[in-house]
Amino acid sequence: MLNVSPRVREYETLPGLNPLGIPAVAPLPTGESEDTNRLVERFGDAILAAGLHHGQQVVYVKPEQLVALAEFAKRDPALRYEALIDVSAVDRSELPISDSRFHTVYQLRSYARKQHLMVVCPLDDRGEPEAPSLASVYQGAIWPEREVWDLMGVHFADHPDHRRILMPESWPNHPLQKQVPVGGEEVPFTLTWSDPEFESFGKQILAAESKPPVLPPGMNIENMIINMGPHHPSTHGVLRLVVELDGETVVNVDADLGYLHSGFEKTGENKRYKDFVYYTDRMDYLSAMSNNMGYCLAVEKLLGVEIPERAQVLRVIMAELQRLASHLFWLSTHVLDVSGTGMALLMYATRERERILDLFEMACGARLTVGYMRIGGVSRDIPPAFLGHLEEFLKAMAIRIDEYEAMLTSGPLWQERLQGIGKLTRDEVINMGLTGPMLRGSGVDWDLRRDAPYGGYENYDFKVPVFTEGDSYARYLVRMEEMRQSLRIIRQAIDNLPDGPFRVEDRKITPPPRAELDISMEALIHHFKLMTEGFQVPPGMVYHGIESSKGELGFFIYSDGSAKPYRLHVRGPSFNNLYAISKMSKGAMLSDIVTNIGSIDIVLGEVDR
Amino acid sequence: MGLEEKLPEGIITTQLETLVNWSRENSTWPLLFGLACCAIEMIATGSARHDISRYGSELFRASPRQADLMIVSGRVSNKMAPVIKRLYDQMSEPKWVIAMGICASAGGPFNNYAIIQGVDKIIPVDVYVPGCPPRPESLLYALDMLRKKQAKDTFRTYANLNAPPPPVVPDDIESLEALRQPQLA
Repeated sequence: MLNVSPRVREYETLPGLNPLGIPAVAPLPTGESEDTNRLVERFGDAILAAGLHHGQQVVYVKPEQLVALAEFAKRDPALRYEALIDVSAVDRSELPISDSRFHTVYQLRSYARKQHLMVVCPLDDRGEPEAPSLASVYQGAIWPEREVWDLMGVHFADHPDHRRILMPESWPNHPLQKQVPVGGEEVPFTLTWSDPEFESFGKQILAAESKPPVLPPGMNIENMIINMGPHHPSTHGVLRLVVELDGETVVNVDADLGYLHSGFEKTGENKRYKDFVYYTDRMDYLSAMSNNMGYCLAVEKLLGVEIPERAQVLRVIMAELQRLASHLFWLSTHVLDVSGTGMALLMYATRERERILDLFEMACGARLTVGYMRIGGVSRDIPPAFLGHLEEFLKAMAIRIDEYEAMLTSGPLWQERLQGIGKLTRDEVINMGLTGPMLRGSGVDWDLRRDAPYGGYENYDFKVPVFTEGDSYARYLVRMEEMRQSLRIIRQAIDNLPDGPFRVEDRKITPPPRAELDISMEALIHHFKLMTEGFQVPPGMVYHGIESSKGELGFFIYSDGSAKPYRLHVRGPSFNNLYAISKMSKGAMLSDIVTNIGSIDIVLGEVDR
Repeated sequence: MGLEEKLPEGIITTQLETLVNWSRENSTWPLLFGLACCAIEMIATGSARHDISRYGSELFRASPRQADLMIVSGRVSNKMAPVIKRLYDQMSEPKWVIAMGICASAGGPFNNYAIIQGVDKIIPVDVYVPGCPPRPESLLYALDMLRKKQAKDTFRTYANLNAPPPPVVPDDIESLEALRQPQLA
């Protein structure tokens, strides 16, 4: 057997790779695992480095062998990495190194073996950056690779649909490349017209000439082409679907995204670690708490910080409340979309959701964009009255879920609109890299909270609902059952809520208590340093996924040892799940598209990021 | 008093302008149109607890032709800007715009390549609502502000609306206040 623990490779010995002061700009894996050994055994010299990094299995592979490696990892009975979860890329041009500028990073997942593998592919520097496309192996690579091309400018050879996905077609650059500025405008604080600052007014706006629409590839102009969105009541935001119709039957669907692209990743790379927490709220604005949690856990993984028990339990309570709130909102809008007149359920579900928002408000003062969690814990302890209100809410909510089910589950109209609609088989959902209820509605028994526990979820007893039908009705049942399980988790969390600090007492990461500032000079200095400079995070590369209400929310962070992330990539579950819309809707009626969109449960803030 | 004393019960007199403004104030129909986080708070405003129908604005119209009020609820990206402009152009006069939240007002936390720093760069805004996102109460307060503005409207406000604006020579402008004066008159 080959020894894969830090071997000296051509890749590592390049000049300037590890200059003094920056210990590991290229996060090199150490140690070994069965899977990495197997890959090294099979591919030998094509593997540049392999091993463990922050507890994750990482493999560096030459681009020539990438597709073969993916194929092998998928088919080999000892590996069985069935799904591609995410594709991202790192532009390393600002690191003090001179080898491959672009790295593409792939996250592979084995549901059968409960394993995660990160594959890094350093690209050739000659000519335009080009990587082989994994679309032939994993269908789920198609959209994420388009995103990497759009934002990072890495070309994917043999990609079946090589177009931009988020930015307008006429966009002049690839915004995530390091030489491209963050952009934005100076805000002029003046009232004099002669002030040259006024010249920057409106510069941000891209010229938009009126031009005939471009027909998406694969569509026939002979059929009726209609435009659903970006301003459409049932697309849950600013999603645009180009639908090709034969009569009322859908022939083709092409999703046009990016109408809410807000540059989260670029912004994150220009903010300190602690400042990006508040941005995550605004990504999937229906599950702000979950986003907070995912990001904080990823940074804590890099920092190697263990947060106190009480903070963990508080986070779990909040994340589960958020899951309830998100599912309630999903339910109300789904019913409204599907039945058209289901206003009653919107009102009922909003009533319960408002109670959850009230609880959030008690804890942190905000309803929607909470910013409650911090790296190293939570921002403040819950007020004494919180638990009493939470208990009351739990009692009421258990009855309400039954009420909603009584209104819907066996209703003939509801069944007619949902059963058999948007059917996806087990193989399809895995191949397309879907996560969350999409996965569990099609018979894959997978929940990150149970199968890759994080944040103390291993201490809770809950069931993961799985249905095998794979249609919209099954996904509806999954979400309803998830709400009940969330109630169970919160119940257990309240019963086991320990006393103690609500954040780590490490003054380099969390600020000192307010009272201490008045009496201690040291506390004041810590506070000042933390607020002005943030904290430095050791170099490394982590991917951390959590089970958000929509699916797997992953944060990929590449740190160069400074106070800002060098590269921050978000794997939004809605983005990957939305890929299925085309497959789900083909051959169905036009009105079923509305059911499908509701059933995927997208939030455009997260799709477009 | 006066004429009303002589008239039978149940008849009041008023100015036509006041009557029209009164009805506009009490049935301002918003465009069913959400962009980002603020849209969720807009929906919360519309649902049971906050009940926007107390203001006569519960009828969110999906077609811009039937809407009076555009609530820009969220950040406006470069890709979305032409769409918003077109939606605004499709609304019939009189029409109003509320920039809900800091993103729609001034770009907010997203001062980057993707987001337009305030929707007022592309369409005129009547009321700005601070907050990230504003609470439903803030949106209701904004509607109140808008009512005050609508109450001051005269027929003349809309009479010459489609006439081309007088040419402005940049050298003639002394200050922003001076530029605003003739518009108010």
